[in-house]
Amino acid sequence: MIDLKDVRKHYRSGNLKSEVLRGVNLQVKQGEYVAIMGKSGSGKSTMLNLLGTLDVLDKGEYKLAGKSVHKMSRGKRVRLRNEEIGFVFQHFQLIPNLSVFQNVLLPLTYGRKRLGKKKARVLALLDEMGLLDKKNQKPDRLSGGEKQRVAIARALVNEPGLILADEPTGSLDEETTENILSLFDRVHEQGATIVVITHDQEVADRAGRILRLQNGVLV
Amino acid sequence: MKLLTAFKLACFGLWSNRYRVVSAMMGVVIGMFAVIVLTAIAIGVKDTLMKQMGSLGAEQILVMPGRVLDTANGQKDLLSGLTSVPSTLTYEDAQAVENVPNVKTVTPQLETVNFVEYEDKNVQSAIVGTTDQYSRVQHAKLAEGRFFTKEEQQAEAKVVVVGNNIHDSLLGKNEVPDAEEGSSTNVVESKPWWKRILNKILGEEVSAEETSLVGKKIMINEETYEVIGVLAPNATLGSSTDNNVVMPIETALTTTDMKNLTKMIVEASSLDVVDEVDGAVFNALAANHSEIDFSVVKQDQMLGALGKVTSILQVMLVGINATALLISGTGIMNVMVMSVRERTREIGIRKALGATTFEIMMQFFFETLLLCIIGGAVGIGLGYAFIEVWNGNIEIFALVLPMWAVKLALYTSIAIGSLVGIYPALKAASMKPSKALRFE
Ligand SMILES: Nc1ncnc2c1ncn2[C@@H]1O[C@H](COP(=O)(O)OP(=O)(O)OP(=O)(O)O)[C@@H](O)[C@H]1O
Ligand SMILES: [Mg+2]
Repeated sequence: MIDLKDVRKHYRSGNLKSEVLRGVNLQVKQGEYVAIMGKSGSGKSTMLNLLGTLDVLDKGEYKLAGKSVHKMSRGKRVRLRNEEIGFVFQHFQLIPNLSVFQNVLLPLTYGRKRLGKKKARVLALLDEMGLLDKKNQKPDRLSGGEKQRVAIARALVNEPGLILADEPTGSLDEETTENILSLFDRVHEQGATIVVITHDQEVADRAGRILRLQNGVLV
Repeated sequence: MKLLTAFKLACFGLWSNRYRVVSAMMGVVIGMFAVIVLTAIAIGVKDTLMKQMGSLGAEQILVMPGRVLDTANGQKDLLSGLTSVPSTLTYEDAQAVENVPNVKTVTPQLETVNFVEYEDKNVQSAIVGTTDQYSRVQHAKLAEGRFFTKEEQQAEAKVVVVGNNIHDSLLGKNEVPDAEEGSSTNVVESKPWWKRILNKILGEEVSAEETSLVGKKIMINEETYEVIGVLAPNATLGSSTDNNVVMPIETALTTTDMKNLTKMIVEASSLDVVDEVDGAVFNALAANHSEIDFSVVKQDQMLGALGKVTSILQVMLVGINATALLISGTGIMNVMVMSVRERTREIGIRKALGATTFEIMMQFFFETLLLCIIGGAVGIGLGYAFIEVWNGNIEIFALVLPMWAVKLALYTSIAIGSLVGIYPALKAASMKPSKALRFE
């Protein structure tokens, strides 16, 4: 499913050049559940952004489901991201002006997939997440756990094959964390590939494989 | 449809930021309001002048008090003659002009403001002393009765023909407070509907008793005059006869203290001799005056001056409109750039979830465009309302709002929206999703 070969990425701020990824290699099979750990600032989000096609690598290769992402045009990448990848961002990233329902609907708004009854799909998903009674609320009226469930519903709405989650339990208590993790388990059972970033060993232990990002490489 | 989605998102974006949107829109609203009202003022002024000056026929020559200056290129600067100066023209001058060859008629006019009394009513009006040619030269038709004759003129008969407004006011048919303030430019048609209806009701009540002043006696300055005719309503501005009380010039000279003519309209016997008559009239008058303190003006000179006024108004209009548009345009752009900045995260999220650069660009472009169109429409509406209220209550001159001005304002707001919408849209579209998501 995922194949990263010697991926490098650096950022430049002013004259300062910081090499964040210095040759990352990663293979993830279809249906696998992988956790990535690492210190703050080690480049986990950077790597996930590359996987999610939100950013482009400097050097190396990235193949997703057999397609060479690093050679794709921007338009193709946007489409791939919309159709094949579900993103659960660090800090929820819900749009404050939009209701829960509208936030979950977003990927479908931009999608070219003919999913038929888009609204019915959103409602079914919200029902599954136990959020149906909050569908018209604005995100700032929700608890952290509820926000994260909305974010996960949004990631799942396009039925993507790959779920990328950046600290999905970052600021949640144990019970809510468990709640979210069992959601991930369910999605995984249904056949999705999951890559989750966490600093929490318990969260990482739920995955089939744990990798660590250190000094710009995965070990 | 991608565009439709972007349009819907733009509508939604405006709605969810409606408080900021309203303040941003104020610029366009005020801009378009200014455009509409100023255009209406300019057109209104132009129309007023047109009606005042344009009523001069091709074979007519206007003699006015005051000297019209010659400009460097030899043309007469009629604008300098528009300011009022004390008149030194007399009835004797008019009689002298009558003897000029090829002059068909001379219609001198004396004018003053005085109170006209009838029973318990007391109305201020413009008292005009003139000749039997007046109604023809001034294009004033009679509603009732007749105009005075040459014979009555010579006999200094105490007869008057009253303007429509004066007639109705004296009968109490219309309670026009403005007539008492001496405004001689009442525009009958521009009264608000409720006033008109009120007039109708009041008028009908009174008309049960009295419907016409013809044959009745009225008082002006302790003197009694018989009303022999009523002029039909004449909505032409400036040269309107609605608030006039017209009497033979000979009568006016003996019964009032009017001496100097406010103007004199000379008719040449044919178009071919107008130039010749023009010169002869000037010479005839110059012989009576020690200095040139009068002006003789032909229609083509009149039209030339009118053209000048019009072009000044046009330049003014373009300047003011451009300023209004520049200000409202930059205001909108600032707000939209700010909005894009504030919504960096939103843009990042949308892009991360599959929005294309084009879709983001169109969303923000449409937001700006809609903002301008809605603001423009509101401004035009307010401007229109202002003009209605003005025309209903203020009678100095009527504001005229041509359809092309409304269209122009609307198209300009669209043009501005499109123009200033480009930059914020490009700014939004060029954001990198990974960076935008890190934005706090
Ligand atoms: N857009 C950017 N511009 C400049 N520097 C960046 C950018 N994105 C990330 N960095 C830098 O790259 C390094 C890695 O950042 P990244 O967000 O990937 O870390 P992380 O492992 O996700 O940390 P955390 O656990 O705190 O989320 C940091 O030093 C960060 O400052
Ligand atoms: Mg991170």
